[in-house]
Amino acid sequence: MPAMNAESTRVAVVACPDWQAVAAQCDLHARGQVFDAVAVLHAQRVIARTAAAAEQGVQVGMRKREAQATCPNMHITAHNPERDRLMFEPVVHAIAELVPLVEVSMPGVVVLATRGPSRYVGGDDALAQRLTVIAETALHKLAQGQRIPFGVGIADGRLTAMIAARSAASVGLPRVVAPNESAQCLAVLPVSVLADFAEIDRNVVSLLQRLGLAHLGNIAEIQPSILVGRFGPVGNEMQRLARGLDRHPPIVVAPPPERASTHRFEAPVEDVNVVVLTARETANELVAHLGNHGASCVRLHISLHTDHGEQNDRVWYQPEGLTAAAMAERVRWQLDAWIASRGVTSGVVLFRLSPIGLRAKEGRQLGLWGDSTEADEWASRAIERLTAMLGAESVRVPEWRGGRDPAEVFTLTSAAVVDVERRALSHVTSETQWNGALPTPSPSVVYDDPLPVLVCDARGEEVTVSGRHELSAEPTVVILQQHHYNVLSWAGPWPVEERWWDTSRQRRMVRMQFVVGRNDIATTTRALVVIREHGQWWVTARYG
Amino acid sequence: MYEPLPTLPVPPELRVMFPEGGLVRGRTVLCSGDAAVAMALRVVSSATQAGSWLGIVGVHNVGVQAASEHDVALQRVVFVQPASSRTEWVSTVAAVADGFDLLMLEVPHGVTMADARRVQTRIQARRNALVLIGATHQSAVQSVFQPDVIMNTATTKWHGIERGAGHVQGRDVQVAVSGRRVPKARQHSLHFVG
Repeated sequence: MPAMNAESTRVAVVACPDWQAVAAQCDLHARGQVFDAVAVLHAQRVIARTAAAAEQGVQVGMRKREAQATCPNMHITAHNPERDRLMFEPVVHAIAELVPLVEVSMPGVVVLATRGPSRYVGGDDALAQRLTVIAETALHKLAQGQRIPFGVGIADGRLTAMIAARSAASVGLPRVVAPNESAQCLAVLPVSVLADFAEIDRNVVSLLQRLGLAHLGNIAEIQPSILVGRFGPVGNEMQRLARGLDRHPPIVVAPPPERASTHRFEAPVEDVNVVVLTARETANELVAHLGNHGASCVRLHISLHTDHGEQNDRVWYQPEGLTAAAMAERVRWQLDAWIASRGVTSGVVLFRLSPIGLRAKEGRQLGLWGDSTEADEWASRAIERLTAMLGAESVRVPEWRGGRDPAEVFTLTSAAVVDVERRALSHVTSETQWNGALPTPSPSVVYDDPLPVLVCDARGEEVTVSGRHELSAEPTVVILQQHHYNVLSWAGPWPVEERWWDTSRQRRMVRMQFVVGRNDIATTTRALVVIREHGQWWVTARYG
Repeated sequence: MYEPLPTLPVPPELRVMFPEGGLVRGRTVLCSGDAAVAMALRVVSSATQAGSWLGIVGVHNVGVQAASEHDVALQRVVFVQPASSRTEWVSTVAAVADGFDLLMLEVPHGVTMADARRVQTRIQARRNALVLIGATHQSAVQSVFQPDVIMNTATTKWHGIERGAGHVQGRDVQVAVSGRRVPKARQHSLHFVG
C-alpha cells in the first residue's frame, strides 16, 4: 500500500458535468417533452447546459438573450436545486450499494474515500471500472436510453479527483491519478479551475490572473504567508488546493471531546418531521459544542437506524461549514431519499450526527459565499424566534415537489430545518408543467380540505361522469355550503390517473373548472376547480 | 425640502393605483373582493423579487403555485400559523414584523381596534408594509384597521372558458381604489392572468 499523505485523502469522484441541465432534461423527458438542447438559468445567466446545447456554442455564464440567439431551439428552465437533488438520488443509491458511505456535496457529484473500496475490489483501477459500470447503468435507466455524460476520477485530494472526473467525462474513460502525483498534475492547470471546482470566488481568481499567476503551479510555489497576507484565509486554502492537499488542514489542536451526537428514540418514529426536528435540536447542541472549541463542521456523517435493523449512512460536505439548520436539512434529504428507495420498513429508532471534517471557525461563515443580505439575516433570526414561540409546525416555507394536483406541486416544510439564508440565494419555482396538471394560471386559493359540493343538471339530478369521462348531462346548478350558484361556463372533465402502478396510493378522478354566479348578486362570479372522486364532487381550489 | 416617502416596488400595472408609485413603508393596504388573494400576491410580488421577505400570517389555503406564477419570490416567503388566542395573535404579528419587510395577514374574528392599533404602530415603527386580505368579512376588517389604501376587486369577465370547452386563462378585474391616503377614489380595470 502506498504511503498515505496525512494532509490529503485519496478519493474517487463520480461526476456528471452540467447536472442541472441533465436533470431538467430528464425531468422534461419523463413528462413527454423531449428536448436535446436544454439550459438552466440562474440570475439571468446560464449555469448549465446539455451537450447538444454546448455543441451549438452555448456557454456557461452567457446571458439569456445571448444563449437564445446562439441556440434558438433550446429549452430554457430556471434553476431548481430540489429537482437536481431528487433526480440524482438513483445514482447515489446505486453507488451506495457498492460503497456504503458516500458523500454528496452537490447534486451531480458523488465523492467517496477509496481506501476501503479499492482494497475490496482490487485496486484503484478496478474500482474506477466498477464505478463506471454502476453509474452507467443507473444513468441509462434514468435517461430512458439516452446517454448522459459522466466521468470517474481517482486521485489524492478532492480537487484533483474532481478535475480527473471532468476530463474522464469528456474522454469517456475513467482516469486514475497515481498516488503522490496530484501536485504535478495540477501544476499545469489554469487557476480558473479553482473557481470551477473548488467554489473559490471568481473575483479572487481574476485577481490571481491579473497578478500574473496563471497556473496552479505558480500558486504552489508562493509561500503561504504571502498569500494569506494578500487574500486572507482564502489564500491559505488556495495554496493548499494548488499543492493537491485537502482544502482545510487537519485540525492540530485536540479534537473536541465526544464528537458524535447520538439520539435514541424511546419508540420507533415513523414521522419524518419528528425525526428531523429532533435532529435540529441535536444539531443545535453539536454546533454550539463545536463552536465553543472554535471549530465548525464541513463534513458530516449522518447515520440512521430503524427498528428492523436497517441502517443508512451518508456523508455531507459544505466547504463553508454546516449550520444547525443545514444539518437538519441534510437529515431530511437523507431520510426522504431512503424512504423513496423503499429501504425502510419501520420507524427510526436512532440517528447519529458525527462531524468528521472540521475547520477552524472564522467568525461568521455565511459571508464566505457572498450575497446574503441583511434582510436575509433578519429573516432567519425572526424564523428562529417564531419557531421558538409557536412550534416548528407553525412556521413553514414552500418547497417544490411536483405533481398534478394544485395542492401537491409545493409542500410546506418546517422552516427550522431549512437553511433559509442559503436558500434565499437560489430560486424556488416550477415552470415545467406535468402532463395532466391543471393548465396555468393556477388557482390562488387551494383548500387543504376540499369542500363537498353538489353538481346538478337542469332537472335537479346530480351530474355523474361515465367510465369514458363523459358527463351525464350539462351542469347547470352548483350547491356549495347551502348556497345555490348558476353554472355560467365549465371546462373538462379531464381525467387524472395517478400512481396506477401502486394499488395503495393510486388515485382516479376527473377534474373540471366551473365559473359560477349567484342569482341574487348578479355581479359576483367565481371560478372553481372541482374534482369527482369516489362518486362525490369536491371543490379543491378557487381562483380567489 | 419635501422628501419622497420610502416605498417598496409594485408591478408596473399597479403603479397607477398607488399615489406614491409603490407600497409606502409603514402603511396598510387592504385587498378585498373576489380576487383579494390574487391581488394581494400581485401587490407584494415585485418587492419580494427585489429582496424583501414576506411573512404570510394566518392566511389559509394560499395557492403556492399561484403565488409563484404571480412572480412572488418563494425563496423569501414564510408561512406562519399564529396561535388561536387573540393576544398571541398580536405578539405573533409583532414578531413577524421584526423580521420581514412585508406582512400579509388575514385578520381573525374578534380582533379589536386596540389590537389593530398595536399592530399598526409596530408596522409604522419598523417600517414594514402591511397587506390585509379581507375576502370574507371586509367591512369588519376595514372598520378595525382603517387601511390607508383599500383595493376592492370584482371579477367582470373570465377568459378562455366556455360552456364545456377551453379552460380558465385569465380574467378582467375591476379594482376600486379608495382609503384615507388616496386623494380621490378611482376605478381601474386590470387584466389578470390567474
